[in-house]
Amino acid sequence: MSSFISNSDRYPASDWSRCLTAGVRAFLIGVFLLSALIFAVDPYDSGRFGLLGITGVDDKLPYTANASRARDGRFDSAIFGDSTGQLIRPAELSPATAKHFVQLVAPGATPRGHLAILDFFLRHHAHVGALVVVIDDPWCASSAAPSADDRFPYWLYGDSTLTYARHLFSWSALDRVFQRIAIGLGQRKRFAEDGFWSYEEVWPPGSRQPSDAPRPPGPRLTGTVDTVFPYKDRLASVIRRLPSEVALVLVVPPVFHTFLPTPGSQDAAAREACNAAYRIIVAGRPHSNLINYRIDNALTRDPKNFADLIHYRADIASKVDEGIIASVRQGNAAKIDF
Amino acid sequence: MLFNDYPFLLVFLPAALLIYRLADPYPQARIGVLVALSFVFYAYGYPPYVLLLALSIAINWLAALAFGHFKRRWIITAAIVMNLAVLGVFKYANFAAANLGLLLGRPMPHLDIVLPLGISFFTFHHIMYLVDLRRGKAPLYPADRYALYISFFPQLLAGPLVRWSEVMAQFGQTVYSPGWQRRFCIGAAFILAGLVEKILFGDGMSRLLDPIYAQAAAGPLKDGDAWLAISVAVQILYDFAGYCDIAIGLGLLFGVQLPFNFNAPFRAASIQDFWQRWHMTLMNFLRDYVYFPLINARILPRRYLPLQSHAATMITMMLCGLWHGASWTFVLWGVLHGFALMICALWRRHGPRLPSLAGWSLTVSFVLLTGVIFRAGSLEVAWHVFQGLAVLPDLEHGRHLLPLLLAPLAAFLLPASQDIVAFFTRRPNVYLAALVGIAFLALLFELGERDVHEFVYFKF
Repeated sequence: MSSFISNSDRYPASDWSRCLTAGVRAFLIGVFLLSALIFAVDPYDSGRFGLLGITGVDDKLPYTANASRARDGRFDSAIFGDSTGQLIRPAELSPATAKHFVQLVAPGATPRGHLAILDFFLRHHAHVGALVVVIDDPWCASSAAPSADDRFPYWLYGDSTLTYARHLFSWSALDRVFQRIAIGLGQRKRFAEDGFWSYEEVWPPGSRQPSDAPRPPGPRLTGTVDTVFPYKDRLASVIRRLPSEVALVLVVPPVFHTFLPTPGSQDAAAREACNAAYRIIVAGRPHSNLINYRIDNALTRDPKNFADLIHYRADIASKVDEGIIASVRQGNAAKIDF
Repeated sequence: MLFNDYPFLLVFLPAALLIYRLADPYPQARIGVLVALSFVFYAYGYPPYVLLLALSIAINWLAALAFGHFKRRWIITAAIVMNLAVLGVFKYANFAAANLGLLLGRPMPHLDIVLPLGISFFTFHHIMYLVDLRRGKAPLYPADRYALYISFFPQLLAGPLVRWSEVMAQFGQTVYSPGWQRRFCIGAAFILAGLVEKILFGDGMSRLLDPIYAQAAAGPLKDGDAWLAISVAVQILYDFAGYCDIAIGLGLLFGVQLPFNFNAPFRAASIQDFWQRWHMTLMNFLRDYVYFPLINARILPRRYLPLQSHAATMITMMLCGLWHGASWTFVLWGVLHGFALMICALWRRHGPRLPSLAGWSLTVSFVLLTGVIFRAGSLEVAWHVFQGLAVLPDLEHGRHLLPLLLAPLAAFLLPASQDIVAFFTRRPNVYLAALVGIAFLALLFELGERDVHEFVYFKF
């Protein structure tokens, strides 16, 4: 079966040598040229390479685009969290607080991912003005074990240049190289420099809203609830390293009223325990606050204010912006109008 | 260490080639260096199991030595039983315990065991050598040569299953003998072919099929996705054939010709033909060490020999199924193929001649349908896929799944990869070689794009 391999060959060895040389040479020249291009441009604008000095990315994916924004020296303050923090507007917060906010939410990421972006942001800013973290349900998980299907690019936000470099040899990195070259040549513009992008562009008002059908009540509280919140501990250890004058606003995002746990239920007690745990982080810090928007009121009862059970619309978002602004100014003494 | 990952392709392989190039002028160093490289390769995934591999080599070699000295057959029998017992503990203990628990009506303890990579393959290598030693066909070998036979890294984890007689004489030969340049070109072509099969076809199909099988675990498939799910046998082909082609290519870079393992199995015109083209080295092993001994044993009177032959086929294929994994679905898969082989043999003897196209259609349909049982993991999931076949595919809904149709077409139409490699390397061509270099680079970029997928046969 393997006869063609061992067959005698009528071509001189030098011809085959030339083939080997040509193959290896093509490979090495390709590696050299592409490596030079990739390292000269730094496709994700992570600050690790990039000899050409091109600034910013035209990247629609927040997971990868946030690296560029997180190290942008024009911003000293940032918003972290899931898509439930996506409608918080840096353009509203910045002038009202005299700080410079950037949106660094990563929809669908776990708190591990958000903490990775936060860490990256802090590594690139000697001075931090304010941090807003949207504490939705995953932050209250009792386990912080990595998930097998977690697609967040930790390699982009970690502190290993080698790990980062290993991920630069991919088609998507090469695509971003050409995007950034086009930015450098002035042929493309940076996408969403302050990171704000509204999901209402996809779900315009009136296009969709949650059903008002009541959900079955959760089980009633019997005994105690879990008070172990590993992500709270991780966030607390990060915040502890920051000067107390850095404003920290933790936002428990609003949800449609049917999504709220039944009062007196196990879920309601668990959420309250989680909020209490996160309140400890902001306690004693001026200009810091935990705002719990997860309440039942006229706003959260109106389906027009939501795209689905957890994604609120612009009217509520402006209330959230106001609460954050008030908290940065007055800390936990802020009056939250909601 | 995975062949389709950067640590292997960019670090281990270049380093191994360089180290072996330095060792090649010293005949006494060649085998030792390859053994050391193979152990480093094996240790990368789960270092503690290097001890298992070393111990397994040492005990089997000592058993062979003892047999050579004392000529007691029980020594070989004991060594084979020990090999099977080790395989049994690691691979089948939980399966046996679970079934015993079902029989006794009470739960049995579950052992938390990590299956050592390649254990099925190196166990079978030991058995092939020991059986032939007892038959007087195999000589005794020095420890280093025997260690290399078992641990030679290109074939250590997932084959091909290599007979000692096919490789022992090749070990220790100089790689850089006249003609090495051509062998290297052929080796590179095999590696490229294997990476294309694995990364583009196998992994590409896996990404589309995995969610469909996850859906099947929840209930009957909708929207005609089941018609795509039946292509899973093609995905397994590309995954495993890709691994084997890389192994063959690597073997050539280290001066060893490994046997081919696939020969365009989806072009087979009968199920017998299929099994002469699919995982050929395993089938050769089963034929020589299970089927023939069962046929030759005087179990039934001579007039019942055909019956004994069919029973031997069934047992062989059942063991073939069980070898693939500790699950009743694998056993059922093997039994179904055993039945098909039996029916095929009876048809050849008593039935009319079937047109090739009809034979091919029947064979491919059977292999694709039984492939669902092989992949599903449980009969319930397989049934959910089969139920889904009642719904015709929704082309609008499943447009993104169309690549699933291209890979089977390639499997049906293209010749075996060794024939493709033979065609492209029949004469030196500098431009083609440069293209191969660029293709390697493109595959590295493709690897960077996607998560690295383990080879399916690592589980076996």
